Amino acid sequence: MVKTDRLIICEHCDCVYEKVTLAKHQKALCQRCGAVLQRYNGMTLQQRLALSLTAAVLWIFANFYPVMSISLQGLSNSATLWDSVVALSNGPITFIALVAAISIIIAPLFQLLLLIWVLTFALAAKRSPAFKLCMRWLETLRPWSMLEVCLLGAMVAVFKLAGMLDVLPGIGLIALAVLSLLIIRIAGRDVRELWEMLP
Amino acid sequence: MPGQPSIKTRRFSVSVVWIVPIIAVLVGISLVVHNWLQQGPVIAVTFKTGEGLTANKTPVKYRNVVIGQVTNVELSSDQKNVKATLKLDKQAEHFTRTGSRFWVVRPRIGAGGVSGIDTLLSGDFIGADVGQGEGQSKTFTGLEVPPPITYGEPGKRFTLRAPDLGSLGIGSPVYYRKIPVGQVVSYNLAPNGESVDIEVFVHAPNDSFVTNDTRFWNASGVDVELSANGFAVSTESLSSLLVGGIAFRAPDYSPNDEPALEDAPFELFADQQSALAPPNGKAQYLSLRFDEPLRGLKVGAPVEFLGVDIGKVVSVNLDYDEQHHTFPASIGIVIYPQRLGPAHAKMLKALKHDPSDEQASVRLLGTFINNGLRGQARSGNLLTGQLYIALDFYPDAKKVVFDPDARPISLPTVPGSLEQLQEKFQSMLDKLDKLPLDRIANNLDSNLVELRKGLKQLNGNTLPGVHGTLQEIGKTLQSANSTLADDSPQREQLKQTLDDVGRMSRSLRELSDYFGRHPESLLRGRPKDAPAENLEPSRN
Repeated sequence: MVKTDRLIICEHCDCVYEKVTLAKHQKALCQRCGAVLQRYNGMTLQQRLALSLTAAVLWIFANFYPVMSISLQGLSNSATLWDSVVALSNGPITFIALVAAISIIIAPLFQLLLLIWVLTFALAAKRSPAFKLCMRWLETLRPWSMLEVCLLGAMVAVFKLAGMLDVLPGIGLIALAVLSLLIIRIAGRDVRELWEMLP
Repeated sequence: MPGQPSIKTRRFSVSVVWIVPIIAVLVGISLVVHNWLQQGPVIAVTFKTGEGLTANKTPVKYRNVVIGQVTNVELSSDQKNVKATLKLDKQAEHFTRTGSRFWVVRPRIGAGGVSGIDTLLSGDFIGADVGQGEGQSKTFTGLEVPPPITYGEPGKRFTLRAPDLGSLGIGSPVYYRKIPVGQVVSYNLAPNGESVDIEVFVHAPNDSFVTNDTRFWNASGVDVELSANGFAVSTESLSSLLVGGIAFRAPDYSPNDEPALEDAPFELFADQQSALAPPNGKAQYLSLRFDEPLRGLKVGAPVEFLGVDIGKVVSVNLDYDEQHHTFPASIGIVIYPQRLGPAHAKMLKALKHDPSDEQASVRLLGTFINNGLRGQARSGNLLTGQLYIALDFYPDAKKVVFDPDARPISLPTVPGSLEQLQEKFQSMLDKLDKLPLDRIANNLDSNLVELRKGLKQLNGNTLPGVHGTLQEIGKTLQSANSTLADDSPQREQLKQTLDDVGRMSRSLRELSDYFGRHPESLLRGRPKDAPAENLEPSRN
């Protein structure tokens, strides 16, 4: 079998290249279609694990503290992420509630748990049990994790309602914002480098 | 040859990046700790209904500031009321003191006014008031109506004891000189059920007018007084007619009066007159035994001592006398010796008597009884036959043995005035009975027969004669009349006669005049030819 470890295929046009070592601020582009093949990844395993743990803490905040509270004429109400899912499920669109639950709560949680699991073993230069399964699921979950969409929706609601009601962003909203940025950074495509690092 | 130093690689180097999750965890811990520190007490309040209570929405307010929230509303296990779980803020911890009160504020319209209008828009909330108790409690019973006095308002509470509530209610005003200065805040039956304890609150600074000597009376309704001065109607205010009211005042003469202490007990009198009456002092119970029936003697009838109202009748019962097989009336009375006023004080001084010494009081009463003190049922009103008890001295009354150990003290009696009157009347009737009425009647009858006969004779014989005589008299008068008429011949003759008499008298005068001038003519006779000038001309 031909050694393929040092080869890389363009995602978009299937052109095969040899892997290069990149320095800071560099990225490798496909000569045929111009798509990005590789980016410089300055993050060590430790950093990634630390950020994953941070993200896990933030996930707890985002789910247990109210995202925002509204008040009108002395009546006030506040909701956490879970409350919003429950509110949806009580309505006529229970299915949407399921999708929302998966995309804003369950998928990020699984991503973070898998990352922490894999990275903890990687730090000890070992493949974790069920390493292949975990790595494949990380890839599968990525499109389902839509925290940034939820964040945008919450922000829109806050700005829209601010005129009519007294809207107070809660701790949950801040946690959600930081969490969505962190997840983009740590659960990106470059997780695949683990395959090479852990033979 | 320099040796090769052994190089040891640290197997595990800690990157700076770990600060990030540590910070995140620290922030998380700080948030949790902050929350935990802010965590106020959780209490359960039971209400009759859950109307207006919503979990996680209904706030708990004190002075209109939110101090907590309803976190749960559920039926109690016996399903008789509703249990609301309140999560209070940290700074509202003292609301768990025993005696704290919670009530639902919702719009209310009552005789006292309108309240809670703002909750129409904002929704109901739970009002709270801090208790004064020392202990802490986790469960409270919610009030159905908001307490009228909250938030530690300055003023004093007083407890009034009344035989019944009357028309008073919570919120009924308390008047001082007809100015509302407080209100009724609560009422409840006394533990023995024999009276009602009414709690009133008098706002500062008027609470200092409530003194130890102050009397409270029920000012509800209208006082109608019919006296020798006429008809007088008085009421405290129009609103007290509707919702009742209490008025208080100290008697005009109350020396050494001090403002009353908080929660001081007072008696609630039925009206101003009885409230401002001098104090009754120590009561003395006496029992009286009457052998006569006492119809018209009622409980509450006055007891008078030498005409002064000194007490009242408290019980009217029948007794059974085993020896005589009779039913005497047993009357219980209560007297207040202090009502005698100066006489009582003077007597105490003269006899060096201490009113609190019961044995001495009994001995004193015994002396009075030996001197002839007796009870008597007298008629107070002849029309209605109502009786009252009079205590009076009857020095010639039959002596009785006084038992100083009997309780209640028994006071001997004399028959009532009406009884005596009846006896006199009876003896009069007896005398009347003894009169020979038959004989008198017979005599009278024969007399009447005689009289009738006499009258018949008079009618038959005498009266016709009288009639004839009267006719004769009529005729005589008629002829007399005609005789005296103007044109009768008798009258004419009389006139002529009188004229003649007149002429005669004139000539007599002339003669006398002549004699006056010529007296000698009596002897010599009339001169023959008297000169003409000597003669007086005739007058006629």
